[in-house]
Amino acid sequence: MTEQHKEHNLIKAAVLVLLPIFFFLAAVCVGRYSVSAGDVCKSFWTAAFGTDLGVNDQVFSVVMNLRVPRALQGLLVGASLAVSGACFQSLFRNPLVSSGMLGVSNGAGFGAALSILLFNSMTMTAVFSFGFGTLAVVLAYLTGKVSGGTPTITLVLGGTIIQSIFSALLSLLKYIADPYSQLPAITFWLMGSLASTKSEELLFSAIPMVVGIIGMILFRWRLNVLSMGDREARTLGLNVGLNKGIVIGLATLATAGAVCVSGVIGWVGLVVPHMCRMVIGSDNKWLIPASISIGACFMVFVDTICRTITGAEIPLGIVTAIVGGPFFIYLLKKTKGKNW
Amino acid sequence: MALIEVKNAAFSYDGKRMVFQDIDFQVEQGEIFCVIGPNGCGKSTLIDCLLGLNQLKAGEILLGGRPLRQLKPRELAEEMAYVPQGHKTTFAFTVLDIVTMGRTYAARMFAPPGDEEKRIARSALEQVGLAGFEEREYTKLSGGELQLVLIARAIAQRSRLLVMDEPTAHLDFTHELNVMEIIASLTRDQGISIIMATHFLNQAYYLENVGVPTRVALIKDGSFVQVGPPSQVLSQENLEQSFNIITEIIESGTGERKYILPLRNKR
Repeated sequence: MTEQHKEHNLIKAAVLVLLPIFFFLAAVCVGRYSVSAGDVCKSFWTAAFGTDLGVNDQVFSVVMNLRVPRALQGLLVGASLAVSGACFQSLFRNPLVSSGMLGVSNGAGFGAALSILLFNSMTMTAVFSFGFGTLAVVLAYLTGKVSGGTPTITLVLGGTIIQSIFSALLSLLKYIADPYSQLPAITFWLMGSLASTKSEELLFSAIPMVVGIIGMILFRWRLNVLSMGDREARTLGLNVGLNKGIVIGLATLATAGAVCVSGVIGWVGLVVPHMCRMVIGSDNKWLIPASISIGACFMVFVDTICRTITGAEIPLGIVTAIVGGPFFIYLLKKTKGKNW
Repeated sequence: MALIEVKNAAFSYDGKRMVFQDIDFQVEQGEIFCVIGPNGCGKSTLIDCLLGLNQLKAGEILLGGRPLRQLKPRELAEEMAYVPQGHKTTFAFTVLDIVTMGRTYAARMFAPPGDEEKRIARSALEQVGLAGFEEREYTKLSGGELQLVLIARAIAQRSRLLVMDEPTAHLDFTHELNVMEIIASLTRDQGISIIMATHFLNQAYYLENVGVPTRVALIKDGSFVQVGPPSQVLSQENLEQSFNIITEIIESGTGERKYILPLRNKR
C-alpha cells in the first residue's frame, strides 16, 4: 500500500470517528433551552471528576439527565439500525433488504403492543419488544432452514412470512385495544421516538446494541466473502452456516436493542448503508464502520429536529424519511449512482 | 501420492436416480484432468462433490491422502481453489477486493487481510495480465475480464489444485485462447494441477498440442466411458457414443496438432 493510500485511509478513519462526536456535542447544546458549548464541557467535567466549575444546577441537569442520555441513545440506535441493514444487504446479496428483513421490527412491534395492553409500563414494553423481536428472527431462521443449510432465498421467504404473521397479530391487538388510551400508545410507539429515554432503559438496551455493533465490526471482512454467495464463500474457506448464523445473531441483537427503546424506525436501516456505499464503496471493511458512523450522526440529527422544531415532539419515523429522502436524492445525483 | 483420489464415487439427489456412479480416478501433481461430456451428463454435480459442496452417496474422495469430508472449509481452501463459471456480484467491489478474497482461509479470525495478502493478490492479477485493474469496479468488467479475475482469485489461494467449471463459457475466441494459455502455463510452469469440466472438445486437444500433461475423462450418463490422453479418448467412435455426433479428426500441417470437427448429429 502506498503512503498516499495510508494517509487517505487515516483521514477517512478520523472523519468517521469525529463526525458522531461533533453531532453528539451539537445535539447536547441545541434545544428549546439553549446551552453553550462551554457549559456543556464544564458539565461533563463536573460529572466525571466531581469538581464544581460553577455550572448552574438547572443547566447541569438538562445536559446530564436529559440531553446526554438521549443523544447517546440516538447514536447507538442509528448506528445499530444502519449497520444491521448493511450486514443484511451483504448477507442476502440484496440491496433492497433492511435491518428488519428477518422480522425483528414486526416482532418487536407486536411485543410492544402486547405489553401496552397488559402492563402499561415502559420497562416491560422494552423487554417485551426485545424478546418478541428476537423470537421473530429465530422463527424466520428456523423457517428458512432446510435440509441442513440456510439458502438465502428460503431465509428471505422465511423472514417475509414471519413479518406478515406478526403484522397480522399486531393488527389483531390494535383491533382489540382500547381506542382512547391503548391504541394511541401503540400507534405512537410504532412511529418511533427517543423522547422517553431514561438512563436505566438506555443501559438495558445499550448492551445488545454495543455487542452487536462491535461483533459486526469484527466480522466486516467476512461479510465481503459471504456476499459472494454460499458456494463460493465455502470454497474460499469459510464455514458458511456458522458465519451466517453469527452475523444474523449480531444484527438481531443490535436491531432488537434499538427497536425496543426507540420503537420502529424505518428507512435508516435501508438507506443509510446505500448513502455510505455511494461515498465510500462496497468494501465492508469500510462500509461497516461508515454505516455505524453515518447512521449515528443521522439519527442524532433527526432526533434533534424532532424535539426542537415544534412545541410538541414529532415522531422519529416521520422525520427520518422527510429529511433523509432529499439528502439521498442529492447524493444519488451527485455520485451518479456509482458503486452499484 | 495423488493429489486427489476418487474411489467408486456415486451421487444421487433424490436417492433413486443416480446422477453418476462408479467414478474412479486420481489426479497427480502437474497434470490437467479434463472432464468432458454433453450438457446434463453429471459434470457439474461431480465438480460439486469434489469441492465438498455435495456429499457422495457412495465411495470416497481423498484430498492429499485425507478423506474430503473430514476437512474443514479452510483446510479445503488451502488445498484446492475453485473457479466458478459465469458470475455476478450484487455490490461493486473493486477487482483487488475480489482477488484478495482468495486469501480468506489464511486470514486470522477477525483481522482484515493485510498488506502481505494484498501483495499476493496483486501478483496473481499480474499473472493473468490484469495489472492495473486493481481499483476497477468488478461489476463493470467484460465477461472475459471477469473470468480472468476469478482465475486470479483462485491463483491467490496458492493451492496445488484448481477446479474449474467451464472456464471459457461465454468467452470470445481471443479470451478463450487467453484463458487456455493461462491454464497451460499454470500447470507447465508452476506445477499446479487442474481439474476442468468442459464441453469444448478441442480444449483438451489444445492442451495436448502445446505439450501439457493432459488426461481426459469422457462421461456419458453418469459413468466414465474412457480415461486417458485426449488423442486416445476423444476418438470418432467415443464421441459418437457419448455426444451422439459424427465427427472428423483433422490434423494440421506436419500432423502433430489435432482438431475435432463436428459434422452432424447422429439420427
